[in-house]
Amino acid sequence: MDADVTMTDAGLSTLSPVSHTLSPPSGEIKASPVTDSQSYDDLDRWIEMLMDCKQLSENDVKKLCDKAREILSEESNVQNVKCPVTVCGDIHGQFHDLMELFKIGGPNPDTNYLFMGDYVDRGYYSVETVTLLVAMKIRHPNRLTILRGNHESRQITQVYGFYDECLRKYGNPNVWKYFTDLFDYLPLTALIENTIFCLHGGLSPSIDSLDNIRALDRIQEVPHEGPMCDLLWSDPDDRCGWGISPRGAGYTFGQDISEAFNHKNGLNLVARAHQLVMEGYNWSQDQQVVTIFSAPNYCYRCGNQAAIMEIDEDLKYTFLQFDPCPRAGEPSVSRRTPDYFLVSF
Amino acid sequence: MTGYQFPSQDSDPLYHFNVSALGAPAVSRLGWSVYSSKKPIMSANEIERATERLTIPMPEMIFGNNYIVVAHKSGWSLGFNAIDALDLVAKHGNPQGGLVKVAYSDAWMNDKKKSSGEVHQVVKPFDWTYTTSYQGTPASSLVSFERTSETIPLGRLRRPDPILFFDDVVLFEDELGDNGITIVSVKIRVMEERLFLLCRFFMRVDDVLFRIRDTRLFIEFADNKILREYTVKQDSYENVKRKIRHSAGDLGLYLRDANWVAEQLPVVETFTETSTIPVIN
Repeated sequence: MDADVTMTDAGLSTLSPVSHTLSPPSGEIKASPVTDSQSYDDLDRWIEMLMDCKQLSENDVKKLCDKAREILSEESNVQNVKCPVTVCGDIHGQFHDLMELFKIGGPNPDTNYLFMGDYVDRGYYSVETVTLLVAMKIRHPNRLTILRGNHESRQITQVYGFYDECLRKYGNPNVWKYFTDLFDYLPLTALIENTIFCLHGGLSPSIDSLDNIRALDRIQEVPHEGPMCDLLWSDPDDRCGWGISPRGAGYTFGQDISEAFNHKNGLNLVARAHQLVMEGYNWSQDQQVVTIFSAPNYCYRCGNQAAIMEIDEDLKYTFLQFDPCPRAGEPSVSRRTPDYFLVSF
Repeated sequence: MTGYQFPSQDSDPLYHFNVSALGAPAVSRLGWSVYSSKKPIMSANEIERATERLTIPMPEMIFGNNYIVVAHKSGWSLGFNAIDALDLVAKHGNPQGGLVKVAYSDAWMNDKKKSSGEVHQVVKPFDWTYTTSYQGTPASSLVSFERTSETIPLGRLRRPDPILFFDDVVLFEDELGDNGITIVSVKIRVMEERLFLLCRFFMRVDDVLFRIRDTRLFIEFADNKILREYTVKQDSYENVKRKIRHSAGDLGLYLRDANWVAEQLPVVETFTETSTIPVIN
C-alpha cells in the first residue's frame, strides 16, 4: 500500500475527511522519508495553519524544506503523472485565489494536482502559498506534483518580491534561503500518461527528446542560458522555427517546432504556463500547445480570469475558469485614495 | 465594453474618442468634463486585432479599454489610451544599433553561437521596452499645441484645495520577461478651479537602464488656460543604484518606486506647450 494512504488511514482527520473514498494513488514513490505518525501530526497541524494563511515558524520551515528535499530529489526531470489530474499554471503568491482554486478543483488529495511553477513573487502571500504547496507535497507526494517555474530562482525572487516578503515576515533571509535551496530540486517537467507534456515555459532548441531532458543535471540555480533555462523561459510564437526574443535573450518556438516535438515523442499536447492570458487559458499552434494561467486578477489589477485544466481517466480535458475570491483585508491596488500628487517637478 | 473604434484611414489616430459616445462624465466643471474608464486587460480576440493593427506584439498587461479624456464643451479634447500610446513605439530596429538589450544578452548570444550550428534570427526586432513619447490623443486636428515659455503654476497645485475627482488608470504594463518593468499610467485630480493630469511612462531594465517620460496637463477652468509639459529623464541602472544610501537596506524597494527614481534621474529634455480652445460662435 502506498505510504500516504497508509498514513491517511491512520486517522488524520484534519485534512482529508473523505480519505476512504480515494481512488487508487497515482505515480510511484521509491521511499517515503516521513516514517512516523508524529511527523504526520506535525504536517497536518502545519497544513491546517497554512490553510488559514498563517505562516510557520522559521524552524518548522527548515524541517519542512529538509523533508521536501528528500522527496523531490527522488523525482525525475520528467516526472511521470497519472490521470485523473488537474493541471494549474502560475499562482504568484495569490494565496486566497489558491484557496479558490482548491474550491473549484476540489481539495487535495481527493483531487490530484499538477502545478507548473511560479508559486512566488508579485502577490502578497508568497511565503504562505509556497509553504502550503510544499507541505501538501510532503503529505501526499503522489497526489501533488510541483514543477519549477522561472520564479523559483534565487536571482528572480530577489527582484520580484519573495525575498523582501521573507525579510518582512521573518526578519531575516533564512526562510528565503531554505526555499530557494529547495527550488533547485523541483522537477523541470512532467509527463501525464505519456501523452501530455507539462512544463513552465516551453521547448528548447537543445532538446529533441524527453531523454535529453532526463539527462540534465537540474540540481542548480536556473542558469542564464542552455536547455534548463529554455524549458522555464521560452514562449510559443506565431512565427515558424526558432526565434530569438527581441530582448536579446530567450527563445520563441513556432508551430512547426511543437508539431515535430510532439510527433517525435508521441505526445498529444504541450501544456505550459508562464504567460498571462485574459481567459485563464489559451490554445495556440493548432492545439499543439495550451497556456494555462491560474492567478485571477493578476497582480490585483488585471481583471483576468484564471483557469485550471481537469484531465479525467480517459484523458479528456475540461477547462475550469474562475474569478478572484472575494477578499477582505487585503491591500487593494485598484481603489487608491485621492492624493495631491505633483510627482517630482 | 467600449471596444475599439478602428478608423477607416491609416492617418487617423487609432482610437477615436468620440466624446459624445463616452456616456456621462465622471465630473464636469465650468464647461470642462473628465471621462474615465477602468476595465480588465484585453481579451485574446481584442489582442489579436490590436496586434494586427499595430504590427508589434502587445505588452503582457494591456488595458486597451481604459482611458482618461479631458474635454471642453467647444469640442477641444485630449484623451489618453493604450493603443495610441503603443502606436508610437519603435516598430522596427536593430538590437545591435540602438535597441536596448537585457543585461545578459551578450553572454546568451555568444553561447548560442558556440553551441548551435543552426542560425537563429531575432524575430522581427522592435522596441520591446515599449518606450513611447505619447502625450495624449487630441480630438482632431483642430486641437494643436504650441511651445510657450510659461510653466505650470505649481503654487496653485500645492494648495490643499478639495479634490472633486481623482483617478489613477493604468494603460499598459509589461514585465519585460522578468527583466524589469515598463508601465504607462495616467493620474488625474480635478479641483473646483483647475485640473492636473500626469501621464507617466516608467521603465526599468534590470542592471541596464531607467527611463521616465512624463506628460503633465494643467487646465485653469475660468480662463480656459491649457498647459502641457513633457519631460524626458534617463540614467543608467548603476548610477541610480549608487544614489541609494548604504544604510537604506532593501535596494529593491527604491528601484521599484517610480517616484523615488524620478527624483534621481537627470532631465534629458523638457518643454511646455499651450493650446487654445476653439471659439464658439
